Amino acid sequence: MSSDAAIVPSSLSIKDLPWQIAWDLDKCTLCGKCTAICPVHAIEPAVFRKRVMDTSAGVKARPENRFQTYYGIRQKTAPAYHCVGCAMCAMVCPNDAIMPMRTDEADKLKFHINQGGEPERRGGRRNIAGGVLDQIKFIRISMLTDPALDAGRHEFEVRTLLGRVLAPEDNIRFVREHGWIPPVREIYPLIIGGMSFGALSPTMWEGLQMGVAYLNEELGMPVRISTGEGGCPPRLLRSRFLQYVILQIASGYFGWDEIIHAIPEMKVDPCAIEIKYGQGAKPGDGGLLMWHKVNRLIAAIRGVPPGVSLPSPPTHQTQYSIEESVAKMIQSMYMAWGFRVPVYPKISASSTALAVLNNLTRNPYAGGLAIDGEDGGTGAAYNVSMDHMGHPIASSLRDCYLNLVSVGQQNEIPLFAGGGIGKNGNLAANAAALIMLGASGVQVGKYIMQAAAGCLGSETARCNICNIGLCPKGITSQDPRLYRRLDPEDVARRIVDVYVAFDTELRKIVAPLGRSTALPIGMSDALGINDAAVAERLKIKYVV
Amino acid sequence: MSDNQYYQIPGVENGIRLESRVLEEKIQAAVAAGHRRIQVDAYGQHGIGGRLWQAETDKVLVRVTGHSGQRLGSMGFPNTRIDVMGPASDDVGWLNAGAEIVVHGNAGNGVANAMSQGKIFVGGNIGARGMTMTKQNPRFAPPELWVLGSAGDYFGEFMAGGVAVICGIDPQTPENILGYRPLVGMVGGRIFFRGPHDGYSKIDARMTPISDADWAWLDKGLTYFLTAVDHLNRYPEVADRDRWQMIAARGPKDKVIRKIRSMAEFQIDVWDRELGRGGLVGDLIEAEMTKIPLITTGDLRRYVPVWANRKYRAPCENACPTGIPVHDRWRMIREGRLDEAVDMALAYTPFPATVCGYLCPNLCMSACTRQNAMMPSVDITRLGKASVKAKTPTPPASTGKTVAVVGGGPAGLSVAWQLRLRGHEVTVFDRSEQIGGKIISVIPEARIPKDVVAAELERVRGLIPHVHLQQALSRDDIIGLKTDFNAVVIATGAQKPRTIPVPGGQKLTPAFEFLRRAKVDGIDPGKSVVIIGAGNVGCDVAVEARRLGAESILLIDVQKPAAFGKEKAHAEAAGAVFRWPCRTREITDEGVVLDTGELLPAHTAVIAIGDMPELDFLPDTVKTHGGFVTVNAYFQTTDPAIFAIGDMVRPGLLTDAIGAGRKAAAVIAGILEGKTPAEAVILEEAQPGQERISEYGGVHAAAFDGRQVMDKGRVKLEYFDPRITEFHDVDECGAECASCGACRDCGICVEVCPQAAISRRELLTGGYEYVVDPTRCIGCGFCVGACPCGVWDLVENEPLLV
Repeated sequence: MSSDAAIVPSSLSIKDLPWQIAWDLDKCTLCGKCTAICPVHAIEPAVFRKRVMDTSAGVKARPENRFQTYYGIRQKTAPAYHCVGCAMCAMVCPNDAIMPMRTDEADKLKFHINQGGEPERRGGRRNIAGGVLDQIKFIRISMLTDPALDAGRHEFEVRTLLGRVLAPEDNIRFVREHGWIPPVREIYPLIIGGMSFGALSPTMWEGLQMGVAYLNEELGMPVRISTGEGGCPPRLLRSRFLQYVILQIASGYFGWDEIIHAIPEMKVDPCAIEIKYGQGAKPGDGGLLMWHKVNRLIAAIRGVPPGVSLPSPPTHQTQYSIEESVAKMIQSMYMAWGFRVPVYPKISASSTALAVLNNLTRNPYAGGLAIDGEDGGTGAAYNVSMDHMGHPIASSLRDCYLNLVSVGQQNEIPLFAGGGIGKNGNLAANAAALIMLGASGVQVGKYIMQAAAGCLGSETARCNICNIGLCPKGITSQDPRLYRRLDPEDVARRIVDVYVAFDTELRKIVAPLGRSTALPIGMSDALGINDAAVAERLKIKYVV
Repeated sequence: MSDNQYYQIPGVENGIRLESRVLEEKIQAAVAAGHRRIQVDAYGQHGIGGRLWQAETDKVLVRVTGHSGQRLGSMGFPNTRIDVMGPASDDVGWLNAGAEIVVHGNAGNGVANAMSQGKIFVGGNIGARGMTMTKQNPRFAPPELWVLGSAGDYFGEFMAGGVAVICGIDPQTPENILGYRPLVGMVGGRIFFRGPHDGYSKIDARMTPISDADWAWLDKGLTYFLTAVDHLNRYPEVADRDRWQMIAARGPKDKVIRKIRSMAEFQIDVWDRELGRGGLVGDLIEAEMTKIPLITTGDLRRYVPVWANRKYRAPCENACPTGIPVHDRWRMIREGRLDEAVDMALAYTPFPATVCGYLCPNLCMSACTRQNAMMPSVDITRLGKASVKAKTPTPPASTGKTVAVVGGGPAGLSVAWQLRLRGHEVTVFDRSEQIGGKIISVIPEARIPKDVVAAELERVRGLIPHVHLQQALSRDDIIGLKTDFNAVVIATGAQKPRTIPVPGGQKLTPAFEFLRRAKVDGIDPGKSVVIIGAGNVGCDVAVEARRLGAESILLIDVQKPAAFGKEKAHAEAAGAVFRWPCRTREITDEGVVLDTGELLPAHTAVIAIGDMPELDFLPDTVKTHGGFVTVNAYFQTTDPAIFAIGDMVRPGLLTDAIGAGRKAAAVIAGILEGKTPAEAVILEEAQPGQERISEYGGVHAAAFDGRQVMDKGRVKLEYFDPRITEFHDVDECGAECASCGACRDCGICVEVCPQAAISRRELLTGGYEYVVDPTRCIGCGFCVGACPCGVWDLVENEPLLV
């Protein structure tokens, strides 16, 4: 800022900002690409004045001074224009002359992103690195048995069950008494978690769905994807690809009338119905799709007029107890497809997760429970919710699983874990750890955005601007100028890469355990951790 | 060969099974003793028949009866031939290094595992993982496994060399003689087989035609094999070449992954075929979805530059109550058009020299953007002073409309001037002996040369011929004007001094009276003067008092003195002292007594706390409030036919009065054309980018201006020398004016644009504009960042329809 301007409490210098633009005058060719690409206008072209003093040796002549100007890139310091570190400038710079650098100092911006009394909101996930999952090791390794599986070459089952698996005696009783047993799906244990049409761009959504269809139809991997709460495109509802889709219903019920209208025309049943009660990234909080993002397309899919704000309340209305909530919703959703489609709730990991689970154990229709931990991502939430609300997935999942074990139903209600899986890139290891802690499968969203679409967001407060619709990669934007940067085919191809590689990695982990016919769900004797407290809490081995 | 020729080694002695170690010692001992035919009656011992290298090149025949244990013939040597007379356990020929091993029955799992040389013949079926991890060492012949029946699961896993022959005779699994998932990881060797199979690892191996040489080798080997396992009678079954197939390992470069559909093909052939053209939302979206680059042009730019010339008011222009576009005058100076720069001011004010050059506190300079960088404001007084030479404009032809202006001070003359410039007939009435009002009556001569005022008043009189002086109008006169004229403006100012209700208040001399008398040297202030009210008028009094011989001059006020600018400076130069807060209790012959009891001695005590208008002559239809005339935003009084401007409406600066005159004139002109005041105002508003100056000389410059003031932050003061401390002439002033918000036609934008997208275009109507070629522009904003004047804007592009 100008030195002769008055300061205000939120006047910041570049040093105060979390991301600082390093710009090299010598390398810069003034091509304008960095300022054209910057999603938040954190940098601007500027005129600089430079002074040159000419003083002769021995001060023989009168000293002279001259002013020159030069042009270059200036970083803005107003909180509204702070650099988000996405580094798109670096990506487009032909001369590598510009790059955001992480400050070496405490972030002062944090004290000022509440202008007008509006607390910081953002996308991404908890801006805190690390976590228990990456520390878990797989310590039970069979080297001597035959058959020793070679993960890279041997085919073995990487499948899990979604749906209520009745105990044999119950199964017999159900057939006898009801003429019905709950539907169960055999699916791939890595599910793409709910990211709505609206939260994601149309190109991203299409890419994900296409990749999933490819995995199913070309590679025989029964991968499933949840729609998130935002409806489902009419064409998808009426296509055979619907069988790969888990339709999510959440507190806003957007798009559900369109889904209901499509039911008579559906070629196939969806994989399952996910009732979203909570989200790991912002437990207890709802959502709001701002009116300006509700364009014609989103509106058509959600079944609303364009240009209106769409609130998703923190809870489903008209439901006043866990029992009522669970019973009512599960029954309703089963009925929609004639009890042919599994229905399960999704909740935020929390100390109340067990209460929900206990209820499900008494509800013979409940097809599973998805638990979303505090490291889950979101398109938009208050920072305080993301960074401070919620429960780590590992212990919540573990508590639930051990609770099932104690009531003897661990093989009956599959648990699906989500929230921060692959947070540091270790997708298969994290997934395997959760499976061995008791998950039947895992749900991932953020990792998929990072791996399949090049999402730049990270836990060092990088980018994370999904909430303002300016995603520089076109993943979470509804602006064609941004989302057309993303090609659905490229995304689909990367989805395939991710799954095929994950598959190999997961086999590399489970094969040495000698598991070739079923996932090692709950096989916690294979787990160890270099932390006695965690080991005790999770009831796994303490290894040092 | 007959049994009795064999050296017998039993596996059980005295009813006790020999340990594998003991049996091995016995076999080795027998060989060492020269036995070359050995029969072992096995009892499940490990590794029988291997490692017989002691016999060197002698052929050693080992016949195994009973239960052969695991790893029969392991590490077998080329000199060894082993015949197992029944079935064999797991891992027959493990790590075989050359032995010929014949199993006359079935063999278990792992036959030939890791075998490198030698031959294994099995006269039955084999279990899982046969022929796995076999090698071929180039120093030796490849290992061979011949199986009469079928292979178990995972056959040939990781096979790295050698030949396996699966004859398919009496197979254990007739529907699939190669078992489940054979040849996974195979990198070398060949498999001959005869019979159905259920697939193999096509990534690793491929079906290969059997050549004549292959067949010759196979045919010869079959005879040998069948002979060895005593099944030569089955030869006719295997003699049909056409029923044989061969699978060979793929070489490293041959390892094609199975052909899978590309995603592009999938999208066309599967995805779009099922969903319809355009995929998921092809039915809902019309806009194109194809991929675009990061840097885009045209409609795909997120932001677009706009040449917003004159879209905003320059800070100087905005600050000037008269509304003079000061920066435009400096532009004319830069263009060498001094005369025009001088003359154009007359479109705004009849007193460009008197006011801008001398008497105005120059609010334009206080607002100058240059001050943001501690640089001196461009000095308008130089141009103001030069304006004394401005030529009287010629008014347009008379419209025949008449307007009466009561009061010939700055406000009245401004409105009269403006109406005359629009061709209306104006008659000015003033009760004094000459026009000019305050300018000539109370402003000390020290502040402005007489001849400047005289010249400007002469110019005014040149444009306004109908002036009636010494005409004090009554209420009835005003009512009469309403009928005689199309419009009436009253602008009689404020001459009635405000005073304070204290004892002895009548002893105070009103400031304007003091100044008026001072101008004709008609007053002697004495040695000490106290002035109550330390505003600019008080300062004028102080200056005059000094000129007339006062030695002690004290300006007191109840609050911080409001004086500022030149007036204050002059008063201080005259030795006046400011003192506050002071509350006056009484005026005595000795001076001013404060409420503290302190006496401020004064020969003359002057009251200078402002003046009030005289309103007695106004008709009842003209309402007042708090001693001033009530007007609306158009300077219309409560009597719509009567306008009021100047100090009688709101006390202010000369420039305030002149500006009010301009605005009132615009409204009156509009009304005279049959418009409502609101319409008149809208039509007066300047359009952004309009060349308003060129309109001068017939058409009037707009008085009402809906534009916003420009953000000073847009101006690039970096282009200017911060070490300039003063200006020497108007040319220097013109050069250093930043021309806020108005293009100075410097061409920096054209040159700085990395895409060469900006060009300058002459307009047919005169003037120019800068235009952007959208097919080249990438929306980088370099034009915005470089423009010295802050003319270029970067705005969000129109939303694309989805």
